[in-house]
Amino acid sequence: MSDCRYTKATSVAEAVEALAEADGEAHVIAGGIALVILMNERLLEPTWLVDVSGLDELKGIDETVDGGLRIGAGVTHDELEHSPAVTRLRPMLIEMVTEIACGRIKNKGTIGGNICLADPQGDPPIAMLALDAIFRAAGPGGLREIPAREFFTGLYETALAEDEILQDIVVPPAPAGSGAAYGKFAARRAMDYTSTISTGVELVRDGEAIASIGIGLGGVGVAPVWAQATERVIVGEAPSDAVFARARESVFDTVEPLGDALYSADYKRHVASVILKRTIIEAHARAGGA
Amino acid sequence: MAMDVTLIINGTEHTVSVEPTETVVNILRDRLGLTGTHKDCCMGICGACTVLLDGKPVSSCLLLAAQADGQHIRTVEDLESDGHLAPVQEAFLRHGAVQCGYCTPGFLMTATALLDENPSPSRDEIIDALKGNLCRCTGYKKIIEAVEDVAAR
Repeated sequence: MSDCRYTKATSVAEAVEALAEADGEAHVIAGGIALVILMNERLLEPTWLVDVSGLDELKGIDETVDGGLRIGAGVTHDELEHSPAVTRLRPMLIEMVTEIACGRIKNKGTIGGNICLADPQGDPPIAMLALDAIFRAAGPGGLREIPAREFFTGLYETALAEDEILQDIVVPPAPAGSGAAYGKFAARRAMDYTSTISTGVELVRDGEAIASIGIGLGGVGVAPVWAQATERVIVGEAPSDAVFARARESVFDTVEPLGDALYSADYKRHVASVILKRTIIEAHARAGGA
Repeated sequence: MAMDVTLIINGTEHTVSVEPTETVVNILRDRLGLTGTHKDCCMGICGACTVLLDGKPVSSCLLLAAQADGQHIRTVEDLESDGHLAPVQEAFLRHGAVQCGYCTPGFLMTATALLDENPSPSRDEIIDALKGNLCRCTGYKKIIEAVEDVAAR
């Protein structure tokens, strides 16, 4: 029998207190999807589970005063998918969440849990990188803002301290003249557990030209990737074969996918560049020009 | 450290002493003798262990009993009543949607949740709802037809 402690937190403060006391030995559990898979696989034998499921402070999706969104970390994928506010303000997130696994998983899995797992193939991180979201972490000293683009630090590693939990995600309002899209390549849609490649794009148009762009790439490294170098070769240009060729070159130069049983690293680079091109074309069309 | 949890399974309260790391599928099968819920991949991929948690399908292999404390769980054993199979079970039989049967309880629970929420789903909605359940015998055609049949009645 295991010797695991279990704390059902009744507030974020209580969860943070337990994490501080555990001094790095506790695991936060919300929807339990990723964590229990690791437990079932015997890759993880937790000694202390801090349960944050059902905390009101982690729930809810609200429109912020400036027209952005505040999404509680404990919001399930299913709740996000059916949110009228998200549909109205950030339809790209709906496009993203419909790509996640299947209903059974979406009913339990949370946006915050997925982000904190920092799996390179997770979908929410890729969308949040493209949209330049801010993650708000609760710790002993209160709330701390961490840009999504500084959050994913390595293989299943994040900028969260051991006594911090993700409280919510703030998505800025869509800029004027912008369009966003999400693209994904998966062997089996409902089982995006194995090799998948995903791209999140938000861009602002100035006529035909792309005035600014945010790109997240999934499945092409040890962590979710903010494709800053690729953004730079695209900004200021109108979509063209030449621009997409340079973007492709940049993807090949900068990402380091892990080859696996299904696809080689170079094949993943190829797929990423193709999906990225399609997603940019879609976002560009949606932006409609200014 | 063992803890007492109360699971309301098919309308009946069961208080069991569990370890925090124990999953509902193991409690159902090994402790309560409810072996209708099948256990297979233990990774949330195959859908064989699907149960309804407060009416929504979830993977019982990824559901800690500790987290389900006080909640309602519905399993395949609850589908028949007074010796009569539920319409969705009858339809599976009529259409030959069962071969080896290992995946069947999961499909039945997923289909039940779909039909509870949407009594007349389209074929596309049925396919989308069932996409997370694996069947390695039937090729899905007969399963989809069985659910369509229930929806049409």
